[in-house]
Order: sequence, then structure tokens, then C-alpha cells
Amino acid sequence: MSTTHIDFDKTKSFLIDTTKCTGCRGCQVACKQWNQLKAEKTVFFSGEGYQNPPAMSEFTFTRIKFRDYQKHGQNEFAFYKEMCMHCNEPACASVCPVGAFHKTAEGPVVYDDKRCIGCRFCMVACPFGIPKYEWSKAFPLVRKCTGCYSRIKEGLQPACATACPTAITYGNRSDMLKEAERRLKNKPERYFPAIYGKEEAGGTSVLYLTHQPLDELGFKQVTKRPLPSYTWQALRLVPGIFLGVGGTLSAITWFQHRKDRIRREEEFKNSRVTPEQKEDNE
Amino acid sequence: MTNHWIDLKNSDAILIIGCNPAENHPISFKWIEKAMDDGAKLIVVDPRYTRSASKADVYAQLRPGTDIAFLGGMINYALQNNLIHEEYVREYTNAAFIINEKFNFEDGLFCSFDDQEKTYDLKSWAYENDAAGNPKRDMSLQHPRSVYQLLKKHYSRYDADKVCAITGTKKEDFLRVAAAFCATGRPDKAGTLLYAMGITQSTHGTQNVRATAMLQMLLGNIGIAGGGVNALRGESNVQGSTDYGLLFNSLPGYLKAPQYDNVDLKAYKEKYTPKTKDAKSANWWGNTPKYITSLLKAWYGDNAVAENDFCYDYLPKWSTGHFYSKVIERMGKGEIEGLVCMGMNPAMGGPDSNNARTALGKLKWLVTVDLWQTETSIFWQRPGVDPKDINTEVFMLPAASSVEKEGSISNSGRWAQWRYKAVEPVGESKSDLWIINQFFKRIQALYTRDKGTFPEPLTKLAWNYGEGHEPDVHLVAKEINGYFTKDMTIVDKDKTLEFKKGDQVPMFKYLQEDGSTTSGCWIYCGSYTKDGNQMARRDASDPTGLGLFPKWSWCWPVNRRIIYNRASVTPDGAPFNPKRPLIAWDATEKKWKGDVPDGPWPPMKDDKEGKYPFIMLAEGHGRLYALDMKDGPFPEHYEPMESPARNLLSKVQNNPLVKVPANVSSNTAKFPLIGTTYRMTEHWQTGGMTRSLPWLVELVPNMFVEISESLAKEKGIKKGDKVKVTTERGAIEAVALVTSRLKPLNVNGKPVEQVGMPWHFGYSGLAKGDSANLLTSAVGCANTNIPEFKAFLCNIEKGGSKA
Repeated sequence: MSTTHIDFDKTKSFLIDTTKCTGCRGCQVACKQWNQLKAEKTVFFSGEGYQNPPAMSEFTFTRIKFRDYQKHGQNEFAFYKEMCMHCNEPACASVCPVGAFHKTAEGPVVYDDKRCIGCRFCMVACPFGIPKYEWSKAFPLVRKCTGCYSRIKEGLQPACATACPTAITYGNRSDMLKEAERRLKNKPERYFPAIYGKEEAGGTSVLYLTHQPLDELGFKQVTKRPLPSYTWQALRLVPGIFLGVGGTLSAITWFQHRKDRIRREEEFKNSRVTPEQKEDNE
Repeated sequence: MTNHWIDLKNSDAILIIGCNPAENHPISFKWIEKAMDDGAKLIVVDPRYTRSASKADVYAQLRPGTDIAFLGGMINYALQNNLIHEEYVREYTNAAFIINEKFNFEDGLFCSFDDQEKTYDLKSWAYENDAAGNPKRDMSLQHPRSVYQLLKKHYSRYDADKVCAITGTKKEDFLRVAAAFCATGRPDKAGTLLYAMGITQSTHGTQNVRATAMLQMLLGNIGIAGGGVNALRGESNVQGSTDYGLLFNSLPGYLKAPQYDNVDLKAYKEKYTPKTKDAKSANWWGNTPKYITSLLKAWYGDNAVAENDFCYDYLPKWSTGHFYSKVIERMGKGEIEGLVCMGMNPAMGGPDSNNARTALGKLKWLVTVDLWQTETSIFWQRPGVDPKDINTEVFMLPAASSVEKEGSISNSGRWAQWRYKAVEPVGESKSDLWIINQFFKRIQALYTRDKGTFPEPLTKLAWNYGEGHEPDVHLVAKEINGYFTKDMTIVDKDKTLEFKKGDQVPMFKYLQEDGSTTSGCWIYCGSYTKDGNQMARRDASDPTGLGLFPKWSWCWPVNRRIIYNRASVTPDGAPFNPKRPLIAWDATEKKWKGDVPDGPWPPMKDDKEGKYPFIMLAEGHGRLYALDMKDGPFPEHYEPMESPARNLLSKVQNNPLVKVPANVSSNTAKFPLIGTTYRMTEHWQTGGMTRSLPWLVELVPNMFVEISESLAKEKGIKKGDKVKVTTERGAIEAVALVTSRLKPLNVNGKPVEQVGMPWHFGYSGLAKGDSANLLTSAVGCANTNIPEFKAFLCNIEKGGSKA
């Protein structure tokens, strides 16, 4: 339902192979540095392993989540990068009343803070829970990963992808999907057979490969339909309904009042009294 | 490293033992994962299930301090199952060499042990020589006194059951590791072994490293692409530090620092220049006289002449050791007046930190040179002391960081990469080069003015680094490379080379004994030549595809990327593995193709000019049996000084040569748990830089310890609880992390628990915490004195109390 057609195959996308992630947090720090985000005051331990801060926020656009557990007596120590999924058809863009979000042709879903009114519809709508509120400010807006849009416009890669020595590959969505399929095919014993983000929310610009089952790691189960399509179902009917129902009601009203109109016209014709004379006689 | 970082991608099996590259060298995992994508197996052996272990195909748990048992078990496994690279072992190692008939090993001790002095007589372990003076050999490897048979006999005691009873490893895990790694004994397979402080920081640390080298030689993995014994260095330029001989007992280029009884240059050369009668042995240290003379010429310039022994008398001579723990000990006795700490933090970086902190207070003056204040620079106002009680005068000099100055940094792979200045130093901070230059200039001026006692070693130094405010680092680099002090004509085979006075020496084979050359560090000769600064090269071409990148920066020696590479070919010069040809002899052109060969001589088989591959040893063969280790020619398992277990292999509980400090305790009633220390990705060393960076403090804000679920249950500790950890030396408070990644070790049938902790925290900086080194002991390795940080005894209880 967007007015400009985007070729999703050509959008720049992340392939995050968590089987290659060592949980070094280079991506987390690179993001902070590039965006000049404040460090949060943290204490140990807020969740599994060494993960910190406890959640993403206005100051933390990406975070490595740790999983540290045992399965059939074997240790599982896994890491994955939570971040904005830069959906093909973003829910945030769809619900925003002032159009502060939009999906760029290059891939990132960007955000114009000059338009934001801080209503937080996007926070409700996002199935991944990404946009975060500026609780610390008197005039709060919403914040999230920018996809390093300014960097990729200059031909650079996002800060996190640049810092990562192992897990993150960055390129056209179709190429990233091909690479993901290739890895799944070549080493089926290494991977859980799924590419998270291929179809979730209708497809996103962040694709994950994992070894452990997705729900075991903590990935949210998200519908495969683009989120806007849910509301589009209803919204697209609005003009029709407006015209249809409104028009029908107007027609009925017109019909209902027609008898009165005809009666008054008849009365007027029969009385041969001018309205002013009629009044003098009352 | 014998190899280098990128070479890891060429491996078929990667054994990670006593190190944790995923956490401490994260970028190296790029190459490890490339190898794994191509089918390599990753094997991790560690007391904990670390971030490295999380990526491994095979993981085995190991009790801290029992690496020789584990590696000895693998050596035994390789020998018993015929997995060794037979031709390599026979031709390139000293397996065939015969040992003198007096040699013996019995119940934990080698022959000639002096119980009073606690030393061995190394001569009692010598080879048996023939009439010509060369070691006798039995190429069939059957002679009972051949190294091969002695090796087999020694490690036959390291069967899997015994090994696992010692190390606490599950037997099936040990066998899985042994099978996976020893499979690289085939000539067409390469196994690389990565190690770091888990291996070195032990009272038998040197023997731990020896065991890794022996295993790799048996498997034919030294000198090949994807192989090697590869140390992961812990600081960006510690390789540079060791290359330039910063320890008390070495000079630049791994020359030995003279002792008091090396009375003159002749005596020095006599003692430290190995000799051989075997024409096939290159015996490269036979060139020692050229290197020591060139070094003296670099230091004393025109003042150093043959008549005055090239100023050899000006070199300090040592008698007793001046290793770190000794320095602290003497400091504590008030025997040291002043100390300069450049990027070094003894208040928490060394063992037994309480002792070190007290010792600092005995100094008359202290100079610290760092980016920020450290625990050492504010030791006098640390928690629990009154500054009024300390009389040390402390000077803090602000140092420039590595991006604020120009120079080279040598990485673990021996690559010296030139770095540039990106920004001006902040505030008044200065480069180390500027600081040392100022120290020297002012001290020299004082000596010149006031004479003093024996000032010549300083006043006669040749110190020519330009007249600018900042010394010219290029002049330093050029001096390190070395130059000709007079016009020279050198005939090298069929080439006649002309050099002018002042020309850079192109490579160390042209260094001279007669004073006609200088070189500040012979192994770096070739790094800065008439063709310019080789270390600054950035050509990313890789003609062999093996990741050698021969034109990217410069590595020592002579830009040879993989050392001992003559062992990667058969005696005829054909690569053992044609799929990864590191070097190959071209018989038509009569030269080697590929990496810089480890000597240009023809293959070993060539009667006239062939040479053995291990060119740095007098006998030219890799030593499965060592001749110069103080505590034995074969590594033998002894228990760490503080241990919960009796030595199951012999009557000798600990390394018999190690002197035990007073504050060591094996009282397992008081301290029933094994303690070990390590590092993390998020902080570095003593946290002098990282614990004041908010983005890193956000990741790891508090000092913590890791314990198993069973230990937590036993002590009633939950994740996030404050706990107190104690040893004979001290006590610390930390937050507990309860995890299944630490498990109790099954030591000879008994479960023994561990407490693991990072040592990054201290009382200075944005993020503060108690220092793990308050707990560790200074007891150290018999050969190097490196402290046994990795294995000690401790106890833990719920409820904290700050140190």
C-alpha cells in the first residue's frame, strides 16, 4: 500500500549467522560509538551470561542476548544480536499518524524525528518491540536503529556490520538469502532449518541463521503476513464504506424527508397565501 | 607463533588449549571459522565452557595445572596408535638420536638431581657422541636409548585412564580430542595448536609449552601451512617487547644478557655460541658473535671498537635473577629506592597483590607512565591505608595512546605493522619515545656534569634520533635494522655486493663480527632498508592463496611467514601436502618457490649443500628431547603448588626445582576449591584503559566470579549474590554468576569444584572492584619464574566484604 514500489531483492540486508557469533559485543559498542549513544548504568547480572544492558532502550539500539543453558547434558552457550528488523513493510510506518517512518529503497526503515509527536503507536504496532521511548526527556520522542542510513548512502556498511569479524554479512537481500540457503544446504547438521526474517512480518532486511531452535533461543514468533496487511484489510475499505454507507444513509434520509418536502410544497400551492400573510393571520 | 593469524584458515584441526581466542582475540575467529567452513574441526580444552568452547566441535574439561598430563596423554595416544608422521619424525626431529647411558628417570625425578641445591646437572642428559663429535643416531628408532624409545617409555605411563584421573576429564571426551587432533599426523593434514596463559602461567609452564611442541613435531605439524605452535600474545606489542629483549635475561633479538662470569666479549661468545661438527646443520645461532657485536655497535657507535671489546664492559651483568616477583620481593625489603612503571600496574597486575602494594610503599620514589591513573599510581591512597603512613614520592606522567604516535607494533604472528599518528596527544601526554628520550638526555647531562660512579655506560651511548622535539621514530627503526659503518664489498655466492658507509644492511646474513655493521635487533634486520620502511607496506596480494600476504608489512626473520618451513617438504624438497605447498624446490631454477625458505640451501638430501630444517638448534633437528630445560628433558606432570590432589604419576608432588614462598598452602580443609583467573573480551589487563570507558563498563560493570550449579547449591549462593573468595594470600568480594559452564572436576573419583574469575578489577577507574590477584601466589615456573596464576586453592562463602 506504499505509493512507491521498492524492489526488496535489492534492499541492503543483514545476514546474521549466530553460529558464527562469539558474543564479543563489538557490534554493540560500534553502534554506541557511531550514534554517540550514552552508556547506561548497569549492574551484573541482568539475564543470562554477561549480557548488558538489561534491554534495548533510547540509548541502546542493538544488544547481544546471551543464552547459557544445558540440553541433554551438553552446554549451550549462544549469542544473538537483537536489533530493528527493518521490515519490508514496516508496521511502524503503517500506523504512524504523521508519517515519521518510511522504508527506504536502500533498505533501512528510517525515522524523521522532526515529524514525531511521541504518540507511541509504533511501539504498540511493532511485532518485534523495537522502537523505544525517551523516558529520560521532557519532550520524549521514539528512537531506534537507523540502519546506519547515512553510512550506506556513502557506500559504507553499517557500523555493526563493519565491526563484526565473523557473524554479520551485509549485501542485497536476494544475495543474503541465497547465501543463507547455501549455508543451510552445505551444512545441514550445523543449522536449524529456518531463516528468521525471510518471511516473518512479510519479510525483513535482517535475516538470521541459528543452530538452536528459534524459540529456544528466544526469537519471537511473528506472523508471516506483512503487519500493514492486517490493518490494510480494514483501512482499504474505509473510502468505500464512507461513500457507500454515507451515501446510502444520505439517500435514505433524502427519501425519508421527501414526503415532508412534497407535503409542504402542496400546502404552499393550495394556500395561495404568502408566507408573510400567513404569519399575520396566526 | 611459528605461523601467523591468517594461516589458521589452512588448518584441518585447531586445538585450543590454555587460551580463549573467541574472547581475547575475537578477530582471530574470522580465520578459525574460515577453516571450519572448509571442514576443519575445532577442539577446545579448558576448565570452563568459554565463548571459544561454544563454537567447538569437541570440548573437554581440564583441571587447571594438569596440562602435561593431558598433552602427555595425547603424545602417548599418537605413539600407541601409530598416528605420528613417521618420515618427519625420523628425519627432522632428534627421535633417532642416542642419549648417554647415564641418563635415567625414576619415580618423578630425572638423573643427577641435587636435593640440597634443588637443581639438575644438565650435562647428565647429553647425547652420546660419535668419534667425529656428532650425536649418534639410529635411524631405525629401535635403539633402547634413542630419544624415540625413551619418549615412548616415558609417556607410556600416561594412559587415558591415568590421565583422566588426574585431569578430571571424562574419558570419552579425552579420547575424542586425541582422535580428532592426532588425525593430523598424516602428511596431507595440518593441525594447529593455539595456547596462551593457561599453558604458560604455571610452575611447569615452560614444560607445558615443550609438551605442545613435542606433540606438534610428532604429528609433523611444525613448519607447514595450517600447523604450528602458536602463542596468542596478550598485548598488542608484547611480541615486540620480547623481540627487543625487555626481560632482564635477554638482549634484543633473543641474545642472552651477560652474566657476571662472562668476563669479556670473548668469554660471552664462547659461552653462548653453539657449535656443531655436522656440515648439514645450519646452526644459525653460530652467528651470535656477529649479532652481539652489531648490537654493541648500534648502542655505542664509534665508541665501540675491537680494542675495547666494543664496549662490552658497559653492559650490566646479572647474577641472581631480576624477574618480576624477585623485584617485588626486594622492594618489600626496602632494597629498591625508585621504580619506573611504564604501562605496568604492579598493584594488581602481578600475583600476591597485597604484598606488591605494601612493597610499593617501601620505595623512596615511584614514576608511573599511563593514559589514566592506575591502582599503582594511587597505591598510597588505596582503601584501607592512610596516605600519611606512606613516604613514597609518586610522579604520574601522562602517556600518549597508540593512535597518538607513530611506530610499529609486532603481532603474535611476528608481523611488524607500521602505525601512524591519527591525532595529537591529549593535553600534556607524550609518547613513550619522547619520555624515554627525555629521561636519557637529562640523566646523561647529570652524569656528564656530576661524573658519578661508572657513568660511561650512559655517557658513551650513541643516541641519534634527530634534533626535533619528538625523537624521529624512523631513525630508531633504521638503527634497529642496522647499517654499514664503512664501505664494504661482500661476495655472496655468485653475487658481488657493494655497500657504502651508512647504507642500511639488507638482511642479517650480511652482519659482521668485526664492527663494520650495526644492528639494534638482528632479527629485524631487513625491516627498514634502502627500499624503505618494509613494515609500512600494504600490498594485499596473496600469490600462493595460503594467506601469506608476503608484501603486507614485514615479519621477522627476513619476512619468512612460517618458520621451520623446510620441514614442510620431503628431504627431496617436494611438499608433503601438494594441496598446500608452502615451499617447493624447483630443480630447474635451483631455487625455492613460495614462502621465504628457512634458508636458501637446496633440499636436505643434497650432499653438498643440503641443511636440516630446524636451523636454530646446533644439531639442526627438532628436540623431542630437550637439552636446556632446567627441570628435565621430557615434560613430566607435577601438581600445581596448591593442589587438591596427590600426584598420581610419581612420588614427587610438585616441580622439584621450584622454591615455595611462605604464603602457599595446600590445606584443602581450609581451601577446598580450585581457583583460576582469566580475561574477558570486554576488559583488558588491569583495566587501566577499559574500566574508564563507559561503553565497556556498561557491558561488564562489576567484579564477578563464576561457579558451578552444584557449588552454588552447596553454599546457598544464587546468581547475583555477593560472595567472598579467600586464599592464603587474601580475600576479595565479588558478585556470583552461577552457570553450568563450570562443572566440578572428577579428580581420581572425587569431585572437586572450581571458582573462576577475571582479574581486570581494581580500586581505580570508573568501574571499581576487588582485584583477583590479591588471591594468587607468586610461586613460579622453574625456568622462567612466571607466576602460577592459573591454579591455586581457595574457598568461597556467601556474603561479601570488600578487600
